[in-house]
Amino acid sequence: MPESPMSEPSPEPSRRQILRTAGLGMSGLALASPLLAACKVGSGGSGGSGGAATLKIGFVSPRTGAAAGFGEPDAYVLGLARKAFADGLTIGGKKYQVKIIDKDGQSNPQRGSQVANDLINAEGVDLMLTTSTPETVNPVSDACEAAGVPCISTVVPWEAWYFGRGAKPTQKQAYRYTFHFCFGVEQFHQAYTHLWPQVKTNKKTGVMWPNDSDGNAIRQALGPLLEKDGYDIVDPGAYTDGTNDYSSQIARFKSEHCEIFNTFPIPSDFATFWRQAAQQGYRPKIVQVAKTGLFPSQVEALGSIGVGIAGGAYWTPTFPYSSSLTKISSKDLADGYQKSSGKQWTQQLGPSLALFDAAAAAFQAATDPKDKKAVAKAIAGLDVQTPVGRLQWGKGPNANVVATPILGGQWVQAAKGSPYKLDFVLCENSSDPNVPVAARLHPYTS
Amino acid sequence: MSWINALVQGLFLGGLYALFACGLSLLFGVMRIINLAHGDLAVLGAFGVWWVSDRADVSPFLALLAVLPVMLALGYALQRTVLARSLRGGELTPLLTTFGLAIVLQNALLQIFSPDVRSLGPSVGSLSTGSWKITDQLSVPYLGVLILAVAVGVLGALQFLLQRTGFGREMRATAQDPDTAALVGVPAASVYARAAAIAVAVAALAGTFLALHSTFDASSGPTQLVFAFEAVVIGGLGSLWGTLTGGVVLGIAQTLGAQIDPQYSILAGHLVFLVILAGPRGRFIATRRAHA
Repeated sequence: MPESPMSEPSPEPSRRQILRTAGLGMSGLALASPLLAACKVGSGGSGGSGGAATLKIGFVSPRTGAAAGFGEPDAYVLGLARKAFADGLTIGGKKYQVKIIDKDGQSNPQRGSQVANDLINAEGVDLMLTTSTPETVNPVSDACEAAGVPCISTVVPWEAWYFGRGAKPTQKQAYRYTFHFCFGVEQFHQAYTHLWPQVKTNKKTGVMWPNDSDGNAIRQALGPLLEKDGYDIVDPGAYTDGTNDYSSQIARFKSEHCEIFNTFPIPSDFATFWRQAAQQGYRPKIVQVAKTGLFPSQVEALGSIGVGIAGGAYWTPTFPYSSSLTKISSKDLADGYQKSSGKQWTQQLGPSLALFDAAAAAFQAATDPKDKKAVAKAIAGLDVQTPVGRLQWGKGPNANVVATPILGGQWVQAAKGSPYKLDFVLCENSSDPNVPVAARLHPYTS
Repeated sequence: MSWINALVQGLFLGGLYALFACGLSLLFGVMRIINLAHGDLAVLGAFGVWWVSDRADVSPFLALLAVLPVMLALGYALQRTVLARSLRGGELTPLLTTFGLAIVLQNALLQIFSPDVRSLGPSVGSLSTGSWKITDQLSVPYLGVLILAVAVGVLGALQFLLQRTGFGREMRATAQDPDTAALVGVPAASVYARAAAIAVAVAALAGTFLALHSTFDASSGPTQLVFAFEAVVIGGLGSLWGTLTGGVVLGIAQTLGAQIDPQYSILAGHLVFLVILAGPRGRFIATRRAHA
């Protein structure tokens, strides 16, 4: 096991605060959190206590709670970044120490917002990084936008980040300090329409899109796109996360002969659904799962019925890119993680390390790295090489966002001799042709 | 036909809810404690079973046999060390204590077992995915039948224990009036500890079946607690057969709700719960008092 996730010092106030918020926040007194945060502003002083020559980076990700699976490889990535920053950064002839302070957003928006305010006011961070799910990323981004602290984020479909925080579709630059790189609905559409024709089907697509922010965004945006491509969408309606029975949906898919199935569920819901589908005899030819099935453990937990499920990847070890900060290639990144943790690689490694690449590049590109306005301006025009590819702000769907690829693939039985049960192979590369395709999509047979 | 299928699936789902609710109902019935850590104790049991079956490479059912005595002991110790003290602190203290226990359990499990999702389904093969296909639209899942049978068995056994044995009489006496029971030589503390032991062991049983039905991780407990609590309230707090009825009513309400529109599934369950709560029985629940 790796050591404690909170590897940076200052445990005293934060531990107390965790207890305090856990107690107050969760017992329904959510109103107390902003008050606590406000107290912190008073006591924290002006921040930046480490002197002008230290650059502080805040890093917020979900390490506990429902989305803890996303934060799993963070300890390893943080280790790589700290090592790379150990000698500091030399910017404009001046040497800066770099300090990374990581916090747990606990998969909870109130907590995310609170740790972000803590990092901004008490620690005085110069740049914020945050990743994984709107519950963590959106409140952290909002706190940074309000406080005028530059922030780079990832692993939230960009529409959920950009529009989910109140931007209007007509706005080209809705935010001054917060920037994002991630896939969006268009990338899902690309991946699906390149993946699904690889297997002959009747193009009838049964969908289970939940009644949550992801599900509703997909229903509004992806559904019409797929219909335009000739896919016949059978949508029984939005279900609530945590539902324990799916017999009505299964009956509908069976009677409509849906040979393609697509869903954006939380892991436990998919396991419940998929076992029940097996019991009730629903067997589509393509099982396209997003949101769940990102990590090997989620598919392994399904047992034999998990083999052959199609998914999407925002990073794999076969991405032909290296991190500009650490010079580590995608392959070495996965190998290193597997060696140090004893666990199989996950897609989170790529974007998490990319955040630190972007951070280093932003400091380098800024006229003065301690000037938050200058850093934000530098990010708006940033061009940086990362494990997930080359990120170029200013060319994306809007000024705040870089759209990164999501590539379609399939979970298959791992090759003989592999220490792991399953392997994820890419079957199409429409949104990034530089990434090699490993196999064709096979019909689901398990 | 699909309505009949929904009804059948709801019945089996109700079995799972009843199994979950059983321990909750017992603790409330005897001690007037609403155990907010119940879902997490169930998940702890599931982790235990998973760990044993993974390490020893045995079927989860064999592993369950090894885990149940441990959970019995844990429940006993929990009552003796933590709950007994908090009971003396008034009505709200046990609620807060079990809430704290839930947080401790969740984070301890996360620390020990990592956030990976797990399931016991793969290790029982076709039991978790197979079914008897009656017609094209009506299937009876093996697992559903097993869970319902276990739920009926456990609740029946507990009912028998309460109604027909000396231990059960002590428990009922203590539930009605601990002070008077003490006067005739029934030590409340020991009765409470045995009730807690049974409740925790049954929670572990429910957790194991949840792990067969779906996947679980350290944060899975609270979601199931809501349904368990609703089943208890629908069936009548503290009544065991009522708990079974409550679970089945909740399960069927959810599957029939989903038949109208999937977004009404959980909502239908909540509505049944609220209707019961607003009715005469709800007032009875609200006025029931705890005994220290």
